[in-house]
Amino acid sequence: MFLATIAGLATVSAVKAQEKIVDGGLAIIEDKKAPKRNVSLKPAGSQSLKNFTSSCTGCQLCVQSCENQVLRPSTKLENLMQPEMSYERGYCRPECTACSEVCPAGAIRKVSREEKSSIQIGHAVFIAKNCVSFNGEAECGNCARRCPSGAITMMHSDPDDESSPMVPIVNQERCIGCGACEHVCPARPFSAIYVEGNEVHRMI
Amino acid sequence: MKQNITRKDFLKTLGATAAVTTIALSGCKSETSEQTTTYSEGDIPKDKMTYRTNRNNGDSVSILGYGCMRLPHKDNVIDQEMVNRLTDFAMEHGVNYYDTAPVYCKGKSEEAMGIALSRYPRDKYFIATKLSNFAESTWSREASMQIYKNSFEYLKTDYIDYYLLHSVGNGSRNRSGWETFNLRYIENGMLDFLMEERKAGRIRNLGFSFHGDQQVIEYLLDNQEKYHWDFVQIQMNYVDWKHAHDIDSDNINADYLYKRLTDLNIPVVIMEPLLGGRLADLPDVLANSLKQRTPERSVASWAFRFAGTFPNILTVLSGMTYMEHLQDNLRTYCPLEPCSDKEIEMLMNIADMYLKYPIVPCTSCQYCMPCPYGIDIPTNFSFYNKCVNEGTIVEDKQSAEYRKSRRRFLIEYNRQLEADRQTEHCIGCRQCVSHCPQKIDIPARLNDINAIVERLKRN
Repeated sequence: MFLATIAGLATVSAVKAQEKIVDGGLAIIEDKKAPKRNVSLKPAGSQSLKNFTSSCTGCQLCVQSCENQVLRPSTKLENLMQPEMSYERGYCRPECTACSEVCPAGAIRKVSREEKSSIQIGHAVFIAKNCVSFNGEAECGNCARRCPSGAITMMHSDPDDESSPMVPIVNQERCIGCGACEHVCPARPFSAIYVEGNEVHRMI
Repeated sequence: MKQNITRKDFLKTLGATAAVTTIALSGCKSETSEQTTTYSEGDIPKDKMTYRTNRNNGDSVSILGYGCMRLPHKDNVIDQEMVNRLTDFAMEHGVNYYDTAPVYCKGKSEEAMGIALSRYPRDKYFIATKLSNFAESTWSREASMQIYKNSFEYLKTDYIDYYLLHSVGNGSRNRSGWETFNLRYIENGMLDFLMEERKAGRIRNLGFSFHGDQQVIEYLLDNQEKYHWDFVQIQMNYVDWKHAHDIDSDNINADYLYKRLTDLNIPVVIMEPLLGGRLADLPDVLANSLKQRTPERSVASWAFRFAGTFPNILTVLSGMTYMEHLQDNLRTYCPLEPCSDKEIEMLMNIADMYLKYPIVPCTSCQYCMPCPYGIDIPTNFSFYNKCVNEGTIVEDKQSAEYRKSRRRFLIEYNRQLEADRQTEHCIGCRQCVSHCPQKIDIPARLNDINAIVERLKRN
């Protein structure tokens, strides 16, 4: 009977963040799913989507060099084997320039670490309905805390109401599209903040 | 399929041969066992366990108590076969106190110990379990009662030797230790009920385990006339003896608690004598200084000898996951050699030095787990503590060791923790904080570790 109660509670609690009944164990974490990006992301050094798609030979060197599990070969017909970029398993860390160093085709031109930190390859977009903070599930702000360029600030969703939930505000001028926010967002399977690609990369 | 049969046959033959050899060897061993010491790798004597007598009822309790919070697991479930083996070995060597709780090991500890212990006559062992009504949904009388009743069923018994109010003094979300205590035990009438149960003989000794709010323990002890606590379980070891308060200002030093309980003539049970293994894995300098004094003994043995030295200690609980833990502790306690005054002074010095290291005072008790956002909190802390102990967090980028240490640190971090379980996913919701008996500001400490990881990754 008690077990049944626990099981019952467990089901309820899976929906909300679970109330702890017993100690130990790891919460089951649902895998993240890639959001639909209107403009696909390409690594810093690609200069533009056009430059990238017309130069890339699909040699896989960049995919192999990516330690953050951001690059993977596309299975889509229109760009088969060309690398796709997404942040479910990691994000494009600002200090890493590995792919730009190995690309032999000019699809990803060599960039220095300093350059990379100011190349905007995309910009973060907020989806309120997924946000655990906006929904009142928990105090969060992890996107703001982990943003390497300090582009995100947590603000009250209603400027006139001090008790309204906090939401992330993205400063598009500072965002470089690295995807740290998307990767560390606790909302699953779809993050409450994700990066939309820029057709032409720009220096900020 | 055919291969399987051959393999089976082979194993059968091998087993038979092994059995014969073991018999032959054990024949030889019995002649030499006289010469083996208690603490090198030789046989462990079966009849040398130190026992303490419970003044209240004459129970003769082994100084080593088996803590069942850290039972061995295989593929994420309790390894019952190993639990049985550990229990057999412990029983054989005189351990007769087994401390479990409804919440331990994801709620499976009581059941596992019920299976292991019920193979022995009931009068050969003492069971300690607890009313772990931590979750707010279990504060009602009905839910608490259910937890109490389940313990009898899981442990296959009609009486419990030592029953505890679990972790009294610990607060809960937005509630102080005092408020929480009242909600868990007073307002629902559970404490009155348990006292009735003691009268009826279904609870032989009633006590509580304590962490935290001093107001609660003072109240409980000031009212000893009313409650008649038969024993109290406290966190005690050579670091907390004089420094619990330094580690967190809400904690009370163990020397005060021990003296307070002894003055009231209440036997004391010790938990965390080893701080969840941290006192077995000291910073290199300190570990070496202990090993130098007794090269044949483990670093952990010092913590156990310290705990056992005090006469009003009924038993010292150790959560032994591996056979090696059990054997090492048996070597220390069969029999116990109490610490001399000089040795205690030396341990106090070790404690002073230990406090200078930036170690997270986590005992891996798992009370904070599961983290709803998937962080493996204790593993993050134990990884960090290990790096502090070994001095592998290099700050100086100019140092010749920097590149190597950085690489080793990051590889090891990823090896121990899947990406989703690492500190960067801590959102700071603070749900874990009220569960921690050590009062660690978990999100802040996780954030500190994250800062180190980030710094190393960036350079």
